[in-house]
Amino acid sequence: MDKGLIQQKLDNTFLRRALKNFAAAYPVARAKAFEGMDFEELRVRISGFKEAGLEQLPALVEQFTASAEKAGARVHLCTTPDDANRTILEIIRSKNADFLVKSKAMTSEEIELNHYLERNGVSCLETDLGEWIIQLAGERPSHMVMPAIHKNKEEVAELFSRETGRECPPDIPSLVQTARDSLRSGFLTGQVGMSGANVAMADSGTLGIITNEGNGRLVTTLPRTHIALVGVEKIVPSLTEALDIIEILPKNATGQKITSYVSFIKGPTGDEGRELHIVLLDNGRLRLAADPAFREALKCVKCGACANVCPIYELVGGHVFGHIYVGGIGLVLTPFFHGFDKAEEILKLCIGCRKCNEVCAAKIDIEGLIVDLRDRIRKPFGQKFLFGTLMKNRKLFHAALRTAYLAQKPFQGEGGRIRHLPLVLNRETANRSLPPIAERPFRDLVETGTGTGKSKGEKVLFYSGCLADFVYPEMCRDTVTSLEKLGYTVTFPQEQTCCGIPARYSGEMEVARDMARINTDVLLKEEADYVVTICPTCTMSLKHDFGKLLADDPVYAEKARRLAAKTFNFSELAARKAETGDWRLGTGKVPQTVTYHDACHLKRGCGVHEEPRKVLQELAGVEIAEMTDCDKCCGFGGSYSIKYPEISQEVLKNKLENIAATGAKTVAVDCPGCKLQIEGGLEAAGSPVKVEHSATLVARRIG
Amino acid sequence: MVERFQIAAEAVGAIVKRFTTLIDGAGYVTSVTGTTTVAAPTLPPALRRALPDLTLAEPADFAVAGAGISVARAGIAATGSLLLELTDPTDRSATALPPVHLVLLDITTIVPTLADLAGLLAENLNRPSPAYLSLTTGPSRTADIERVLTIGVHGPKELHILMMEGDASWTRD
Repeated sequence: MDKGLIQQKLDNTFLRRALKNFAAAYPVARAKAFEGMDFEELRVRISGFKEAGLEQLPALVEQFTASAEKAGARVHLCTTPDDANRTILEIIRSKNADFLVKSKAMTSEEIELNHYLERNGVSCLETDLGEWIIQLAGERPSHMVMPAIHKNKEEVAELFSRETGRECPPDIPSLVQTARDSLRSGFLTGQVGMSGANVAMADSGTLGIITNEGNGRLVTTLPRTHIALVGVEKIVPSLTEALDIIEILPKNATGQKITSYVSFIKGPTGDEGRELHIVLLDNGRLRLAADPAFREALKCVKCGACANVCPIYELVGGHVFGHIYVGGIGLVLTPFFHGFDKAEEILKLCIGCRKCNEVCAAKIDIEGLIVDLRDRIRKPFGQKFLFGTLMKNRKLFHAALRTAYLAQKPFQGEGGRIRHLPLVLNRETANRSLPPIAERPFRDLVETGTGTGKSKGEKVLFYSGCLADFVYPEMCRDTVTSLEKLGYTVTFPQEQTCCGIPARYSGEMEVARDMARINTDVLLKEEADYVVTICPTCTMSLKHDFGKLLADDPVYAEKARRLAAKTFNFSELAARKAETGDWRLGTGKVPQTVTYHDACHLKRGCGVHEEPRKVLQELAGVEIAEMTDCDKCCGFGGSYSIKYPEISQEVLKNKLENIAATGAKTVAVDCPGCKLQIEGGLEAAGSPVKVEHSATLVARRIG
Repeated sequence: MVERFQIAAEAVGAIVKRFTTLIDGAGYVTSVTGTTTVAAPTLPPALRRALPDLTLAEPADFAVAGAGISVARAGIAATGSLLLELTDPTDRSATALPPVHLVLLDITTIVPTLADLAGLLAENLNRPSPAYLSLTTGPSRTADIERVLTIGVHGPKELHILMMEGDASWTRD
């Protein structure tokens, strides 16, 4: 990704403020819109019928075509953007028209219809206010539902003044009135109108269009010919499914219970000679629908919620975070609609926090698809060696980490932390100090007998994860202490190695698969009741990713299932003991109040967010002062904070503000990565606030 | 349910009035439309008789009419939405072009949620003939500039809902 463009967006104060305000307002409006409804039940149903529909998409296309034609519409199935553009031009020419009046259709952006038509002598008028603004500016939408969210009223006033030839003040109601006045004649004189559709019903051939401004109804009413440009994935079996989509879409898109207008259009209406042409756009969709690995992406109903909650979108907007379709799903759809060359850079922009998955109207594993797609893009030079040779060989990998301990020495400052990295890395890491790699990793401490074998309870294999092992050995020691005090017998298998997530996130799936096999064998070799981790990313890896990576290998798929069944995060296992009361509070000192930061991969990767609070309150005996957006990413994202330090720092800044607002002097976390990031930010800012893993607080408190 | 409908409709900016007789309702229509021309291509005969002084606009002049009048087929309490059957483009223009839109709603046709309208919608859409049905919820709106909610873009700036509480069987004539 063009670093200059990223920096330009980060420096755009209007954009930053607009997106930040929206990010704050959206969850409130959305929650209110869904009040009294079961969002999960609704989206599970949508996911179900969308999935089933995609499996038989060609049949649905056929059925829809037959129904719509029976009602008098003409249906054109177009394979490529070129086909669709040509078909639309021919329809317009057959009406002897040279002007197309349009309401909003993302499909039209997808095939770049306006450019094509204008090159062929047909002028286009976008009548959706946001689309008109960006048409006048010669830009592309930066949000699927609010295309001009990046433009301020001064910029709009300037565009409108230029267009109308008279001075338009930067006053929003008067700008809206200007749009109404200026676009009226377009509706009244247009012979051909164009719309998209939000849903299409196969059994009746009906289109469903969800709008707010009223322009959609005008372009489908006043011109005698109506062209609807519709992606084939919008077809559902019947009205029943369509109503579910109409129910969820406005709530998820803008937090409206329903939009001002929902139109159901079946066939051409009115007198003889009125025509309805439905251009069904394939552009890779039918092939994608037949691909079991990625077809899930087509379940998308285009609500834009994935952008609304994305911490990276919030910082850089849709002109960076997306291509034509923006937000999380935009990253996924781009390679299929526009080619992998267009997707290569944007696929790397996802930090992996899974916020999008939580709100997706069709329950798409957006983050998972982004990670899987990275396997298909070109890899940076040297990455293959790093993962293929180094990480697969545990001894070599660990030896490299030990060497790094020596190499970092010159950069360590007071207290051992690294405040300035050499050369180019310096500027970009200035807002965060780094902890050094420990002189002795946890695995060496265990060898000399630290902390194991003191209890006779259920047996736990401790899987520490590399970061805790090599950077935070004391965090590992505290975990073992806590678990033992809670009555577990703990063993640390020395042959455990990296869970493979860094390889997987970098698109090295084969390496990730090998790591999954190695760790599965290591962790199943010894009989144990549980495998416990203190890194949520590792938990997610062991619990979910191994099974997915090894699905095609019957022997290892079974092993992965067994491993997943007994893998838990520290807080889950500790919370169980909190319930039994089989422990006692000691006299160790812990802070009275902490604030808690939910790690992305713990909350959304493992579904764990109540247990850590229980552990902190009951076992560590602290009060929790909740922070705003407690479950929003801290900006770490593993190697993300090194690849995109400028973005990572800005995400961190939001987190630090929310922490400061609680007044708590300690932040409790359940993730070594979050600790590294937040601690580094606090330290660089000179804040006295400490960051502690829950296991550390528990180890101190219980006797 | 009538209360819920009113609260939901008002929450999205509709002006809601309740009437027990046709005469009262007609009086309100006149008070809103005043002397402007009105786009109302298919008024129920009883309502037309109750509005003898109404100046009806020709369809070609709907763009300059001061108001449009329609009759809803049903209402949705959860969202304050109106179901309009607008298969004739002239009927559609009357609801889409003028700055003011008045809709009469028989309160006995109000259903709790969108899902409860499925039967009526399906009945209309599963006939072989073309159809255009519209759910209208509040006046036309946009938040496309700086996310500031602004009422009245391309469609009506005002939506008046006349909830008819007495015998409103005339709305179906």
